[in-house]
Amino acid sequence: MLPGDEKMVERCLQGDDAAWETVVNSYAKRIYNLTYRYTGRRAEAEDLTQEIFIRVYQNLKSFRSDSGSFQGWIMKVGRNLIIDQYRRTRRFPQAAGTEEMESMNLKDEKLPNPQRGVEQTEASRFLREGLQALSPELKEAIILRDLEGMAYQEIAEFLGIPEGTVKSRINRGRLELAKLLTKRRTQARMQV
Amino acid sequence: MQCEVVEERLSEYVERTLPHEEMVRVAEHLQECPGCLRLMEEMRSILVGCKAFPSYEVTTALLDRILLRTSGRPRSRTLREQLRAYFVQPVLTPRFAMSAGLVLLFVALAAALMIPRVNVVASVLSPRGLLLQMDRGVQQIYSEGLKLYSAKNEWQNQLTYFKNNMLGKLGFMIEQLDVPVEGKKKPADQKQQEKRPGQKSSAWLLPA
Repeated sequence: MLPGDEKMVERCLQGDDAAWETVVNSYAKRIYNLTYRYTGRRAEAEDLTQEIFIRVYQNLKSFRSDSGSFQGWIMKVGRNLIIDQYRRTRRFPQAAGTEEMESMNLKDEKLPNPQRGVEQTEASRFLREGLQALSPELKEAIILRDLEGMAYQEIAEFLGIPEGTVKSRINRGRLELAKLLTKRRTQARMQV
Repeated sequence: MQCEVVEERLSEYVERTLPHEEMVRVAEHLQECPGCLRLMEEMRSILVGCKAFPSYEVTTALLDRILLRTSGRPRSRTLREQLRAYFVQPVLTPRFAMSAGLVLLFVALAAALMIPRVNVVASVLSPRGLLLQMDRGVQQIYSEGLKLYSAKNEWQNQLTYFKNNMLGKLGFMIEQLDVPVEGKKKPADQKQQEKRPGQKSSAWLLPA
């Protein structure tokens, strides 16, 4: 929990608009990136981010500081909305072929081999597409662990599932991504 | 160790969270199985790719939308944003660009016409310019004085000449006009006596 979050929430509940603005400024980036990783499209991520903050604003009263951090609570609200959105639309649209497929500058000092460097750049490009191909549970686990950098214990608490299940989902998600990437590379070689 | 078992533990192997013994067993399998080795390498690539996954900044437009839809209060602007809103954004409009272009053209023309004069004024206002100007003024006054003096001398000479020559000739001519018409010659002393004070004569005009 960020220092002063609890007081900030109290001020928000008392109608202090400046405090609410501080909350939005503090968490907007994290929520936006989370939604972007789920949806793979900026416009949809923006709409979802907006919806999440509206939901947070409307439900501020239900936040209890003794039941967890404010950040965790916001993330939960966000996750629930993302899942709702997924159920409504059944699946998020594929991010492949969008203008957002910028190349990423990867630096892996442990693997100086140029061939491996090229392969990793390809992997990171593929990641956006690959994530959309995973089932919601696996995608969620990968996003929280590998993109958001949360610990297994934290994810287990966040999702309300055992830590073993979290580890299993993460392993299955990574394996699926690795298999998809291998398949894609094989196809690319066949075309050449 | 079978491939399925290795696959189950691959994630922990990549993260190096497996117990030492199992790490060794998985490593041994990977040395023997190219398929699992390839899978492990791809998983490692994906993890590196995840670390490099871009983190995007939220646009101010989105923050505005969120605040307007929730508290209804517009976002407070930073000093930079305020400066941008007041000074930069108006500049980036076609109307301003047109006006600025016209003003620049006008200023350029005015400067082209004014700058030579400004240079002259500036040179005159310098100490050296002021001294030169004063010197020029004094010389002009002196030359004007000289001209007046020579003109005065000229007029004086002309007057003297007129007085000495022209009036003398005029007196002579008047004397000639005073000769009697009827042919009676009178002696010179008689003529003098016959002259009365009220009688008309031009002799008084003659110089003494």
